[in-house]
Amino acid sequence: MKYLRKYPFLGPLVAVVVVYAIFAIVAPGSFTRAENLTTMAGQTVVVGIAASGMTLVILLGGIDLSVGSNVALSTVVCALCMRAGAPAILAAAAAMASGLVAGLVNGALVTTLRITPFIVTLGTMRALRGLAKGLADEQKIDAPSSGIDALVAPLPPGYGWALFPPGVWIMLATSGLVAAMLVYTRGGRHIVAIGSNEATARLCGVRVERMKWLVYGLAGLFAGLAGVMEFSTLTVGDPTDSIGLELEVIAAVVIGGGSLAGGEGSVAGALFGALLMTVIRTGSTYLGIDNWVQDIVTGGIVVTAVALDRARRASEARR
Amino acid sequence: MFGRTLRFALTLVAALLLLSCNRSKDGGTTKIAVIPKGTTHEFWKAVHAGAVKASRELHVEIVWKGPLAEDDLKGQIDVVQSFVAQGVSGIVLAPLNDKALEKPVDGAVKANIPVVIFDSDLAGSAHKSFVATDNLAAGRLAGEKLAALLGQKGKIAVLRYQEGSASTQKREEGFLEAVRKMPDIQVVSDNQYGGATTESAFEKAESLLAAQNAGSGGVDGVFCPNESTTFGMLLALRKAGLAGKIKFVGFDASEKLVGALRDGHVDALVVQDPFKIGYEAVRTMVEVIAGKPVQPRIDTGAVVVDKASLDKPETKAIVAPDLAPWLGK
Repeated sequence: MKYLRKYPFLGPLVAVVVVYAIFAIVAPGSFTRAENLTTMAGQTVVVGIAASGMTLVILLGGIDLSVGSNVALSTVVCALCMRAGAPAILAAAAAMASGLVAGLVNGALVTTLRITPFIVTLGTMRALRGLAKGLADEQKIDAPSSGIDALVAPLPPGYGWALFPPGVWIMLATSGLVAAMLVYTRGGRHIVAIGSNEATARLCGVRVERMKWLVYGLAGLFAGLAGVMEFSTLTVGDPTDSIGLELEVIAAVVIGGGSLAGGEGSVAGALFGALLMTVIRTGSTYLGIDNWVQDIVTGGIVVTAVALDRARRASEARR
Repeated sequence: MFGRTLRFALTLVAALLLLSCNRSKDGGTTKIAVIPKGTTHEFWKAVHAGAVKASRELHVEIVWKGPLAEDDLKGQIDVVQSFVAQGVSGIVLAPLNDKALEKPVDGAVKANIPVVIFDSDLAGSAHKSFVATDNLAAGRLAGEKLAALLGQKGKIAVLRYQEGSASTQKREEGFLEAVRKMPDIQVVSDNQYGGATTESAFEKAESLLAAQNAGSGGVDGVFCPNESTTFGMLLALRKAGLAGKIKFVGFDASEKLVGALRDGHVDALVVQDPFKIGYEAVRTMVEVIAGKPVQPRIDTGAVVVDKASLDKPETKAIVAPDLAPWLGK
């Protein structure tokens, strides 16, 4: 128990390894091929990046339901910029900026209106979806994807030394940065403090409102980056994309040891949580498991993870 | 130390072991992945049944796997990528978007996995064949039927579906081509679009009928290119008291449209054959794998159904095929 408390990501790591091992045994031999590992890593990128931001929000004791819509919006912004002839880097920057602005709006609404984040982001979820549809004229946007499409595509021949496509490395880098921020900076400590006990944090001089703005803004920025990765996969801007993605992202954070009560969560854990869901999805495809069974299994795993989280905290409280 | 983690892991093991019982045996047989646009619509169930029939007759294994959420583009791309990583013998795909699936299909072909596209077309030329209804021919069929119903003369109106929808535009094109060949037929309206929903189609149909004075003989026959426009037009005709008086050819069969056919409110429906689409797609893929040459475009045909032919067994097999022997439900 001692290690588990010190390194909360160990739980989901073990789960990933166990589930992978099971599929390696039951599924056809090709499941353990290297191609499959890189494919799965590539398919985790969008949820993985968004989960870094969501971990911060959940640590703070908040929630962000607008992630999926925000991702769709940024695929649209990215596609519009590419279609207008902007270079890839500029289009990506614009998509991330749109995500950041959406996140800051969430932060502003949460702090100034003092409505619970669940309701605020439930509202912005619909509003951002509408904005994306409006910008895209309710259609998928065809755009040249040159430059951006290499982010999550399989590596071209001769680049095997990179192991994974660039998007996977970007995901690992963002997770690393966020994790370092939580451990080594005062701001990171403040986020955890607010999530643990907001009133106490406020009394200790933590500038709660400012931190909330920062965190929702960061979550939006990461959603924007996730949207760039999504565009890289889709190669079209799709305003109806990623419906329900927010639930997958929240599930990843919760499986990774995050507590919706705030103050607890792990960036690395969230990454393993995201990977766990990809492994289950890919394994289900390999085995040809019906979609309805896969839905039930994924749901069951989320509930199991949360039940585990509750039990763990109850046992810690008894000490 | 890892007590709870272990319990969590064991729960997973149990769940997955249970699932693995579901797995069909694979003893080095040909394994073909069949990827529809979705898995819950009636249309796709019939396609699935056709694919299963082909797999049983040709002794191959098929894996039927659509995106988890209906019409989820990213989900479909993920499924294609997973099958490529798995190294299946072939992929049969109904792309949700003609451009977005181009790259994953290229990836499959680069990994030496042949791809057959069915139902909806894909940009690019990496795939071996395209198996679907020839919409141009189906539209022509509708045009000839309506002309025959009118005795080769009269005023015709078309309620189009939506700009940018390739399949329905082809149907409209084929229809207009057929009726314009007849010298005594006059097309009084062909530039009205019904839009995406039955509601919008109904409103457009109402104003179309009013604008052409349909109530006082301004229109003798109408054509609609898909299910929603056909149903919208049907509602408008009924409301105006013109149902059964104006000759009406629609497209696609739903329970309500077949009911209207029986009532005489619709004179004929042109229907596609989803069962055959699924069957032909898998059969074509098996030939590709066997190294035989295949046609780049395979038409699975469309048929005209009217009140007289509705209860014939061969029509029933298309409009309401018995799926139980193939899907086991």
